Amino acid sequence: MTAHIEILNVSKRYGALTVLDGLSLSIKANEFMVFLGPSGCGKSTLLRMIAGLESVDEGTISINGQRIDTLPPGKRDIAMVFQSYALYPHMTVADNMAFGLRNINMPADVISARVAEAARMLEITHLLERKPGQLSGGQRQRVAIGRAIVKEPKAFLFDEPLSNLDAALRVRTRVELAQLRNRVRSTMVFVTHDQIEAMTLADRIVVMNNRKIEQIGTPMEIYSQPASRFVATFVGSPTMNFLRVSLSNQNGFARATLPDGTELQTSIPLESIDGSEHSIGIRAEAIKRANGAAATTTGKVDVVERLGDRTLLYTRLREGSIIVAEDIGNSRVAIGDEIALSLDGMRAHLFDSSGRAWHNQEASHG
Amino acid sequence: MSSVSSGMIGRSTGDRIVLALTIGMAIVMMAPIAWVVALSLKDNKELMTDMNSVFHAPYTIQNYINILATSSVFRWILNSVIVSGVLTILTLVLSSLAGYGFARLNFPFRNALFVLVLLGLAVPEQAVLIARHQLFSWLKFHNTYHGLILPGLAAPFGVFLMTQYFRAIPRELDEAALLDNASRFKIFWKVLLPLTLPAQATLGIFTFLSSWNDYFWPLISGTKKEMYTLTIGIASTQTNFAQSEGLGFLMSQAVFAGAPILILYLFFQKYIVTAVSGAAVR
Ligand SMILES: Nc1ncnc2c1ncn2[C@@H]1O[C@H](COP(=O)(O)OP(=O)(O)OP(=O)(O)O)[C@@H](O)[C@H]1O
Ligand SMILES: [Mg+2]
Repeated sequence: MTAHIEILNVSKRYGALTVLDGLSLSIKANEFMVFLGPSGCGKSTLLRMIAGLESVDEGTISINGQRIDTLPPGKRDIAMVFQSYALYPHMTVADNMAFGLRNINMPADVISARVAEAARMLEITHLLERKPGQLSGGQRQRVAIGRAIVKEPKAFLFDEPLSNLDAALRVRTRVELAQLRNRVRSTMVFVTHDQIEAMTLADRIVVMNNRKIEQIGTPMEIYSQPASRFVATFVGSPTMNFLRVSLSNQNGFARATLPDGTELQTSIPLESIDGSEHSIGIRAEAIKRANGAAATTTGKVDVVERLGDRTLLYTRLREGSIIVAEDIGNSRVAIGDEIALSLDGMRAHLFDSSGRAWHNQEASHG
Repeated sequence: MSSVSSGMIGRSTGDRIVLALTIGMAIVMMAPIAWVVALSLKDNKELMTDMNSVFHAPYTIQNYINILATSSVFRWILNSVIVSGVLTILTLVLSSLAGYGFARLNFPFRNALFVLVLLGLAVPEQAVLIARHQLFSWLKFHNTYHGLILPGLAAPFGVFLMTQYFRAIPRELDEAALLDNASRFKIFWKVLLPLTLPAQATLGIFTFLSSWNDYFWPLISGTKKEMYTLTIGIASTQTNFAQSEGLGFLMSQAVFAGAPILILYLFFQKYIVTAVSGAAVR
């Protein structure tokens, strides 16, 4: 039994401060949904409202058609993994995992079977008799996940469960979570402000900012068709380049003129575009070094960032703005070099001053 | 102790100075106690003629036998155990409940009420003594156990300590337990209370000690011999010239009344040390 979670027009206020404003969202059964957004945008608040740890000021939350926002947390058939893990310090690992099951008077043999099974799955069997204080951060994290698994809940909620782990362990745990996800078929809602976690784990991502949902979509939709300038900026590394442009008509499609006069042809129908003060957004991967003839613009390299498999060139264009271009791993470009760049207009996006976005028609490759 | 006897090898000069000072302090602290114990083991007559006899035999336990021969002494011990024990348990229960309430529940005037409790710390017992005496005699509470116990139950320090302790426990534990289907009482009893054990021990010890040593209120409230606590009872057996003709007996009384505390200390040494050094709250 897994949960289809329906969030309808939900608002949350703390006194005069509105944290969430009329937010609607549908999470499908068995879906891995990630809430992504900058710090303070209300991700945890929304998650805690699903869990029942925060009241819902307006709107409704239902699971499988049944309203749950009035039920106490324990009655929602949901398990949550906290950022701090929130293990009971005075109980052994086994007791931590069994606590919730004992509270619903589950028979002892069923409890121990479930605990043993979860411990085996998470490879923490040898830790069962220890107290949380005797565990490493990674081990605690597994116990916290184990405590959720044994409940066999309709939905799992995770609030930045990886953020207390060091970088290496974080990557490993991320992979393990993805594997776990295939074994424990259940709806999962995962809060993070780390876009890589979001991209790698999610079936769909909810990008949140400033009390609202900016976009809901698969990782690739979010990446290649960002619904707003905020999403375009927030997702992807290095950050998308933005340049002010003026637009002209080329056979019905928008042609963008950069400040230095360079012209980029897009496949965005001009009549679909309105608003004012347009910018073009283009990722580093769509800006390559050009050889002579194909060059569309030139600039002087300010910073060279070598990432091994590719090299990022922070290039100052003639009119002064800096854009990040991508080159091969063993690029020979050095600081101060004059280089020619070709910008792929077919992989660019247009934004207006309010942040609305327009994409190329076959915008499948970013 | 073992680290002292393990020798001075490998210690820096600074360490040695600190060690010497510590030993010096310990001697200064211990000397009066040793003096009291020594005096209590001497014959009263012998002390009247020659104080230096403390330093040599004969020693005797006659003074202690005389205490035990006082018909009421075991009754007084019982009274002290009942008063201090019940007071300690009730103080722990009330302070824990109040501390949980102040730390976790939202109710009107919570902060004002908390300040009021803290103000209780500033009111000396002497200030309310006459009013309390009159109230208790009107209620006919004098010479009863509850008359001895009730005043101690107003324990602002206990409420303050437990409130701070509960506040220091992350709320996420409550929330995890809430999601684990635990009732509010179960969260209090099974999740939070066990985490306050160090504070319980600290508060319990302090409450027990101060109640056991209390002289003022029991002297006023317990006027009948069978309602004396040990401190009052022992004091009542002193003769008018105890300082001169019954010095050994006087000292044995002091040792006798203090012995239970010493035993308690040996059992709870660890907690008392952390409590006094203020490191009890993580
Ligand atoms: N109990 C509270 N009282 C008042 N304001 C609150 C309370 N809890 C949260 N907020 C505010 O609500 C907003 C959203 O908080 P929330 O914890 O949901 O953010 P978040 O997206 O999870 O951020 P982070 O990534 O830092 O965890 C923040 O501006 C925060 O200051
Ligand atoms: Mg958060």
